[in-house]
Amino acid sequence: MSKQRNLKSVLIGSVAMASLTMLHMGTALAADFKEAPQLAEKVKAGELPSVEERLPKSPLVMEPITSVGEYGGTLRRAILGGGDQHNIVRLIGSENLVRWSPNWSSIEPNIAESFEVSDDATTFTFKLRDGMKWSDGEPFTADDIMFWYEVLLDERLTPSKHPNFVETAGPVQVKKIDDTTVEFKFEEPNGLFLQNMAYGFGYYVVNFPKHYLAQFHIDHNPDVQKLVDAEPAAADWVQLFNLKAGPMHTPIFWQNADRPTLHPWHLKNGYGATERVVAERNPYFWKVDPDGQQLPYIDQITWDQVEDVEAILLKAFNGEIDYMARHIGRPVNLAALTDNKDRGKYDFYQVGDIPGSQTALMFNLNNADPVKNEIVNNLDFRKAVSHAVDREAINDIVYLGAGNPVQTAPHPLSPFYNEEWAKHSTSYDPEKAGALLDSIGLDKKDEDGFRLGPDGERFTLVFLVADVFGWQYPDVMELVAGYAKDVGLDFQVRASDRSRLFEIVSSGEHDAYLWNCPGGLVDAYANPDCYLPRGQAVFWAPKWAAWGADPSTGTEPPEEIKELFEIYRGVTSTADPAKQEESLVKLIDSASKQLLTVGLIQSNGAFGIARNNLRNHVDPMPIAGQLWTPAPYTSQFYFEGGDNLP
Amino acid sequence: MFGFLYRRLLYMIPTVFLISVVTFVIIQLPPGDYLDTLAAELSDSGGLDEGTMQALRDQYGLGQPMYVQYLKWMSQILFHGNFGISFEKNIPVNDIIWDKLGWTFAISLMTLLFIWMTALPIGIYSAVRKYSAGDYIATFFGFIGLAVPNFLLALVMMYVAFKYFGQSVGGLVSPQYLGEPWTFDKFLDLLAHIWMPIVVVGTSGAAALIRIMRANLLDELYRPYVVTARAKGMSEFQLLLKYPVRVALNPFVSTIGWILPTLVSGEIIVAVVMNLPTTGPLLLRALLVQDMYLAGSLILLVSILTVIGTLVSDLLLAWIDPRIRYQ
Repeated sequence: MSKQRNLKSVLIGSVAMASLTMLHMGTALAADFKEAPQLAEKVKAGELPSVEERLPKSPLVMEPITSVGEYGGTLRRAILGGGDQHNIVRLIGSENLVRWSPNWSSIEPNIAESFEVSDDATTFTFKLRDGMKWSDGEPFTADDIMFWYEVLLDERLTPSKHPNFVETAGPVQVKKIDDTTVEFKFEEPNGLFLQNMAYGFGYYVVNFPKHYLAQFHIDHNPDVQKLVDAEPAAADWVQLFNLKAGPMHTPIFWQNADRPTLHPWHLKNGYGATERVVAERNPYFWKVDPDGQQLPYIDQITWDQVEDVEAILLKAFNGEIDYMARHIGRPVNLAALTDNKDRGKYDFYQVGDIPGSQTALMFNLNNADPVKNEIVNNLDFRKAVSHAVDREAINDIVYLGAGNPVQTAPHPLSPFYNEEWAKHSTSYDPEKAGALLDSIGLDKKDEDGFRLGPDGERFTLVFLVADVFGWQYPDVMELVAGYAKDVGLDFQVRASDRSRLFEIVSSGEHDAYLWNCPGGLVDAYANPDCYLPRGQAVFWAPKWAAWGADPSTGTEPPEEIKELFEIYRGVTSTADPAKQEESLVKLIDSASKQLLTVGLIQSNGAFGIARNNLRNHVDPMPIAGQLWTPAPYTSQFYFEGGDNLP
Repeated sequence: MFGFLYRRLLYMIPTVFLISVVTFVIIQLPPGDYLDTLAAELSDSGGLDEGTMQALRDQYGLGQPMYVQYLKWMSQILFHGNFGISFEKNIPVNDIIWDKLGWTFAISLMTLLFIWMTALPIGIYSAVRKYSAGDYIATFFGFIGLAVPNFLLALVMMYVAFKYFGQSVGGLVSPQYLGEPWTFDKFLDLLAHIWMPIVVVGTSGAAALIRIMRANLLDELYRPYVVTARAKGMSEFQLLLKYPVRVALNPFVSTIGWILPTLVSGEIIVAVVMNLPTTGPLLLRALLVQDMYLAGSLILLVSILTVIGTLVSDLLLAWIDPRIRYQ
């Protein structure tokens, strides 16, 4: 089965920052562009300008993943009725100034024709494509980026700004050099800025069409109140603006089908209100193939709205899904999907979804209870827990043997893999665990066999789990609680829904919880959230994380944690890949020795299904929290034969 | 009669008011609000920064005290027929629910008809032919219908339809008709799909009513008035329908008021499993993400329907059973 194919050849890649000098890509191209038949008809009917006028002067020439394609067909997917907007985002939504190469190894031009980074990593200059247009045909220029910058600086609209664009000295300085050149300047070196611009959140700067959004802005449209009155969901212009210019990763963006975009397909109707979301070809899309055919190849994309994940499986069996990993690509579904693959006319592709930890025990190292806080902050305690659990058994029982029983650490496919980190304190050894617990003063037990804390009370930790990603977390936690009991530790399991869990852990009111960790592959640079306390996705030391972001808040951490922040500065303050790698390795090494989270299982990737005649999709496809794949490459997808299989 | 109707209609006002308050409070009881849900869902893709959260919180008016939110909501409903905005979908609740309520209502009514059409004759048959083979068979299937959870039945039927009939399952129409205007073909396609939820939701209701009908009718069959009628030479079939069945019908009629909410709520899981365009999945999702105006409006409307349904069943009951008086 193709799923078994080794990821290695494609997924690895040292982080390669792209060349630091100006890049000129694919400008030499024959002038005779070709277009989709449906667009050619519209041109003939006079509804659209010719393809030459629609494309920028130097469209991006995409190197095909496998072959040059042909036009036609509908890519069919399913989407859950709510909260599933990333289903759209990850398929069509991620067109940034720069993009990651298909195998996640280097940064390449995208909306920007070329870019330049100063040697000290403070100044980033992007050259835009001349003559590029929004999906409604209006020109896209540096003014659109400056409009985004205006919104970013406006306290009314953006009271706090995305961390990509701020540093301790304040927000980035953005300057328009000319209509097609924009410069981003930081006070201090920002070695990860280009990477971050290629990740999902880099989208902000190129999603503010001034000609459309300015009408909702009081400085640009004094009559904005009329529009406010007409919109039942808004009470003033700020609300109206936020509604129309909502962030792409929230549902709001996809509920507004009027907003022009630079995406290959453009929504015909909003997400959530109808039974089917439809996106149709953007006639002004700015990418072509080497033969000069304007992308995308596929006419339209549809998402049928369903309420239950099992319904997606049935649709897949019936051949009603053309390309999908989301919701269905889990080990438990593999057998059923394999059985029905002839009927559904699909095959598997590999998804490089490889976190630092699929499942990790996260103790709250800033616990408000002083007794608990002291114990969980003791390295020997965490080591004892780590030795107490049988990772092999968990892997076999819950993950059907599909994962690696290791600590939170880079995956073997990562350029920084180190067996010492992965295997640190992972042996199943309840005796050693017991001895460690005895040595830190948890040596007295009550009549039920549970250890007593220094205060003479039974030492209990409450673990929160949510039923996200199926039942894996509750299942794993039940096993862990059993192993803990074997060594006399009282771990209580409390299941909760995700939002409640998130609310509790983000405010730091938990003892411990189960979650996953990023940083399994190249994302360790930008998302080292389990190697040092930072970010808003994992919360094992919320108060230290707050201090790290702004030392006037939170709690000052101990020296060894402060040192982690210091080491990580070595990654962010330079643009030199060698120095960045050196610092990152040092960071993971130091974090690993401190066993900040107790990693249990690391996944070896997931899978997706693609119809037998779908071509040009990346396999294996890398994916990560902020790497919104395959969106930068979906415009190249095509159906062999020009249509869906019957 | 009219005095009764008038009083009953007056009682409905405080009832509905109390329901609306309780609804609103219960939805707000869990900690957090819609934005916390949103933030949790986004945490895997990098999260939602505090500024965006605050801006959205202001936009949705989530910072205000509960009674202010309630009064705003209520006054908008009473004076403008405006049920508020769905947080998750950013469109007026009015734009979402009527279509789905229509489907819910249609399926509920058809299910009701299905229940009556099966439960009534079978119930009569098993009472009249007590302990016959037919009675045992009806009893057997009745108990199965009662015992099997609806969602499981839905799953099994979907599997069978998928495996042996190659039917596209889930939804009320095939994928090619989704979002298309209504045509005769689409209507036929609808008929090919809609029987499944009706049978699934109706089975347990029918099973219960068969048992009730059987028991009630058995009580009546040997009453003196039946014997008298039979002695006077009335034909057996006419006699049966005219007297004992009419009396035994009482539970059918008196449960009309509850059948609607039962169908709506019993249908939620079935609708999720079978992917029906009804209010069920909408309500479940709205409750999960604390989309309070949407959830509140749905619960309020269903409650009002219940209150109206109870009134209707009381009136019918009085009409059908001469022993019942308005006093």
